[in-house]
Amino acid sequence: MKRLGVIFPLLLCTALAARAHVGSPDVYFEGDAGPYHLFVTVRVPQVIPGVAEIRVRSASGDVQSMQFVSMRLSGPGSNLPPTPDLAQQSKEDPQFFTGSLWLMESGALRVRIRVDGAKGKGEVSVPVPSFAQRTLTMDRPLKGILGLLMLFLAVGMVFIAGAAVREGNLAPGETPAPGKIRRAKIVMAITAMVVVGILYLGRAWWGAEAGNYERGVNFFKPPAAETTLENGNRLVIRAHGQDKEWPNEVKMEEIIPDHNHLMHLFLIRVPGMDRLLHLHPERIAGGAFAEDLPSISAGKYRVFADVVDKAGFPWTLVGEANLPQLDGMPLAGDDASWSGAPLTKPAGEASTFLLPDGGHMTWERASGPLKANTAMNFTFSVQTKEGKPAQDLEPYMGMAGHAEFVRSDMGAFAHVHPAGSVAMAALELAQAGVLEAPPAMRDGMVMGAQSPKVSFPYGFPQPGDYRIFVQIKCAGRVETGVFDAHVE
Amino acid sequence: MGQSIPLGTQLGVGMGERAAARTDATSIPWTIWCMVAGIASGTVGGIWDISWHMSIGRDTFWTPAHIAIQMTGVLVGIACGYLILSATFGGESAARETSVKIWGFRGPLGAFIAVWGCVAMLTSAPFDNWWHNAYGLDVKIVSPPHTLLSLGSFAIKVGALALMAGLMNRASEALRGRLMWLFACVGATAVAQAGLILTQPTWPVYMHSASCYLAVAIGIPAVLVGTAWGAGNKWACTRAAAIYTAILLAAEWILPLFPAEPKLGPVYQHVTHFIPLRFPLLFIVPAVVLDLLWNKVGDWKRWRLAGVTGAAFLASFVAVQWPFANFLMSPAARNRIFGMAYFGYFDPAGFLYDPYAFVAAEKTRGAFWLTMAFAVVAAMISSRLGLAWGDWMRRMRR
Repeated sequence: MKRLGVIFPLLLCTALAARAHVGSPDVYFEGDAGPYHLFVTVRVPQVIPGVAEIRVRSASGDVQSMQFVSMRLSGPGSNLPPTPDLAQQSKEDPQFFTGSLWLMESGALRVRIRVDGAKGKGEVSVPVPSFAQRTLTMDRPLKGILGLLMLFLAVGMVFIAGAAVREGNLAPGETPAPGKIRRAKIVMAITAMVVVGILYLGRAWWGAEAGNYERGVNFFKPPAAETTLENGNRLVIRAHGQDKEWPNEVKMEEIIPDHNHLMHLFLIRVPGMDRLLHLHPERIAGGAFAEDLPSISAGKYRVFADVVDKAGFPWTLVGEANLPQLDGMPLAGDDASWSGAPLTKPAGEASTFLLPDGGHMTWERASGPLKANTAMNFTFSVQTKEGKPAQDLEPYMGMAGHAEFVRSDMGAFAHVHPAGSVAMAALELAQAGVLEAPPAMRDGMVMGAQSPKVSFPYGFPQPGDYRIFVQIKCAGRVETGVFDAHVE
Repeated sequence: MGQSIPLGTQLGVGMGERAAARTDATSIPWTIWCMVAGIASGTVGGIWDISWHMSIGRDTFWTPAHIAIQMTGVLVGIACGYLILSATFGGESAARETSVKIWGFRGPLGAFIAVWGCVAMLTSAPFDNWWHNAYGLDVKIVSPPHTLLSLGSFAIKVGALALMAGLMNRASEALRGRLMWLFACVGATAVAQAGLILTQPTWPVYMHSASCYLAVAIGIPAVLVGTAWGAGNKWACTRAAAIYTAILLAAEWILPLFPAEPKLGPVYQHVTHFIPLRFPLLFIVPAVVLDLLWNKVGDWKRWRLAGVTGAAFLASFVAVQWPFANFLMSPAARNRIFGMAYFGYFDPAGFLYDPYAFVAAEKTRGAFWLTMAFAVVAAMISSRLGLAWGDWMRRMRR
């Protein structure tokens, strides 16, 4: 560790099984459309172009109608929306509105929601990262049906050609001469060869289309975070996209700040998730990022690094790093760390976490099992060691809190704020042109006195065991509460 | 009307057979009307669907345009199913004597071809649905399932033409004269389908590029010459091209009468009504030229005739379409008659390109003339295919 100038290559990340942002593609948002407070869920399609489902709950019962429309988040055409769709209002629950929208292209999009009600009109735009998540394979029954139909068409074409030569120009009642029958067989053989050629070309075309699509899927897979340790404790991170075009399209030199920092780096020790570091490396030459690590326990760490590109699309770089024991610099600025007990399987059900100062953080969890793909409001309250609501909470990087939801197999990672799973930089871009949005809404930032409660709208993407790291700032210190959850 | 042009030795034999096999029926069978109605529905649906994508953008399986397209399969399936089942299991000997046999079934050859087209269209539906699920909704118009649908649709037209050709070749002069019009109508829809496939390379901005004429030379003569030559009528080519022109003009003038608004973005053009495709290509002129030409040299050997036909088609088409393109690009064409002021909602006119400036697809003069030379050869080969198809239909008896 003391040999200056020596570079220790760490275990580089290759394409991991996890998907972009990571394994948690749906968008959860809580915010205001003018005078109306909304909870928004956007279920993004598996393929692009595809249809997204929009679900909005209004906190108040005075909303009369809503309109949804999807648009580009930034760049050309971002201010040229089509005719919006009128959302369907639930008859049983008049505060609940639903709709569906086509997402026609991959990249940074937004869903604009316009609200009309007793308090007048309001509007908010929710950023939606649009990307194809998979390539569907054809299931066996459909493959069988289509195969039979194609066989029928191929063989049918051969026999039709034979019949045309054999009998097509015979006078009524006339029987085909042996010469015609022989010619028909020759034509059938030639037609069969042509049909095989057509099928071959068709298959090649299909393969080329599928290959193009697969490239698009790969493009949006989480880029690899290549990590190296230089000069003993300086961690350097370089991004490598999963497609060769990625570095041409997404330039690290052009990424935009997301709540005060260009990169939010999370190092989570695996397999037990018993160590967490939330750091903010600075950009260095060549589009790389670097930071001198604080003191750290040795082990294998999963790397998640959140950045937002200039179009407003959020990327999570994913990698692994085998780190040695380090006696580094004290934490500074917005950096934070936590260490504690590892995650058990199945995950524990504790809803209270003891903070270092003797206070508590409590997950105000509803009774009953947790379900995947269900939008929830995760509310946490902070109490002093005397059991009273904490009065000394303050904004942490401009927000009431930050939460990281991580599945035990590292297949799902989401960095969530009180405004939801959207990147704050994208949220700021999305509000361009939206009138009447209060400044706090524009930034997603906290202004003024802060409540001892903080909540995060989110939904677990898949069943499994999760660890939730909740980070708040209390009397100048960043505190991390840790909760485990088993999701069905 | 109804006068046959000289067709050489082979046709002379065919005409003798035609007289021997002549039927006494004087009215057009309902099955033909049913097929023609299905094809008309598909043509309207196809043009409507393209306009839908240019005006509204977003669709479902159940849009009126899609239903109109699917009605082709239904109506043609009913007609041909009846023809095949009645010839196979019915007691009518005339139907059996004018049929071909495939897999134990009997029926007119054209009915079998059309049924093949129906099955291709049917196959394309689940294939297309899976394609959407796997690779996304209609991001590309030319995809394997859409090509299968188009192939099926074209096979239905080929089948209908073959069915009518067989009937015409056995029919009385009165019935033959009436069938000739339906034959020309179906032929015109085939030309329209081929023209729609060539939409991109023949867009007005490319009309001063040789690639535009190469595309036309490959795709159009085979269809136009084939249907006209198969009809064996003095003005068959003109008739088919005139109907093609009428179909596209009707689409251009009628579609904008109906309101529409984009449902997908970005919306670069303010759209308040259905956007038609464009003014028809001037196939009418080469069609007249070919009819006049065939009246003089129709009995030439086929390759020689194909060479002259292809060259005449291309030369006359270039002679009118090239200067007409100048007019289309001028402000005088930006009206409801010529439709040059219509743009799809997604057209970033003035942003990414100038819609009224020609694009040179060939970068050098040499490349231009080389492409034009290819176009001449392609027109001749395409014409030869058309003549072969037409001769086949002229000999059709079943």
